[in-house]
Amino acid sequence: MSTPTTLPKEFQDQQESIRIMGFWVFLATDVALFGCLFSVYAVFRSRVALGPTPHQIFSLGPVLLETLILLTSSFTISLSLFAARRDRLKPALYCLILTLLLGASFVTLEIREFSHDVMAGHTWHQSAFLSAFFTLVGTHGSHVTFGVVWAIMLSMQLALRGLTVINRRKLYTFALYWHFLDIVWIFLFSIVYLTGIA
Amino acid sequence: MQMERDISHVPTGRGDEVEIHGLAPHLHMTRFPTQQIIGYLVSLLLTLFAFALVAYHWLPLNLLVIVVVCLAFVQGAIQLGIYMHLREGRGTLWHLPVLGLAGFVGLGIVGFSIWIMLFKSGVS
Repeated sequence: MSTPTTLPKEFQDQQESIRIMGFWVFLATDVALFGCLFSVYAVFRSRVALGPTPHQIFSLGPVLLETLILLTSSFTISLSLFAARRDRLKPALYCLILTLLLGASFVTLEIREFSHDVMAGHTWHQSAFLSAFFTLVGTHGSHVTFGVVWAIMLSMQLALRGLTVINRRKLYTFALYWHFLDIVWIFLFSIVYLTGIA
Repeated sequence: MQMERDISHVPTGRGDEVEIHGLAPHLHMTRFPTQQIIGYLVSLLLTLFAFALVAYHWLPLNLLVIVVVCLAFVQGAIQLGIYMHLREGRGTLWHLPVLGLAGFVGLGIVGFSIWIMLFKSGVS
């Protein structure tokens, strides 16, 4: 291979490298946001007032399914990036679309769960636990929803313009965002759901 | 076929060379996405294991919580290392301060909130 530099393709342009760096800074602020919400949840977890306890309201089946969907979507976006690095536009695009479909089904399942709770009268007005729970999980869910919209735009740009320098960087930052949401969900699944039901 | 190169001493002419050898960016390109597949399988296994721990009550509650949280950290590290390409690009040295800040703020908020709540008699 006689490439002048062995930097990954997303980093070969210095301007785009700096943008990726900036995206890491955004992710750091998001860590602070989720850190706050996790703390609030940890503090209010046992304050159930007259509402349900975590044990009564969580059902692990759908949540496990959501987890598997999100883990799979994290895998498919990494495949998309892998294909993009090998200059294969179509596999990259298809993996991105698969990722956004998985993301959309995750959001659908979550909305179903939430509306099920609300129908049963368990809104976030009911107790401090439910307020903290819906805020934390809802913030993650809205991040995923935003990610799905972002992925739709990105796949249109990829389809129209191909793997340009800018599109490579966009795909890379989207992949970072998506993996970050996956990490947050792993902590949600472990700390909120698993220990809630244990 | 694999190619792995140490680019720590290749001058880019832009003044952004990484000089600390251990932190030099690493580019790992393969023909087949082996790393991604391994990462996926390991994260699936860890998730199912954590789930089984809870579903079948294999451990006493206190220990269970600790193990589940530790498993979550392992999974997070896998995601960061394999999927988020931490060691690539102009890479590690660029990310480390930001990641450190994120960890410091995040763990600071969570850790100290939990710590302060352990003083049960304080206010009430």
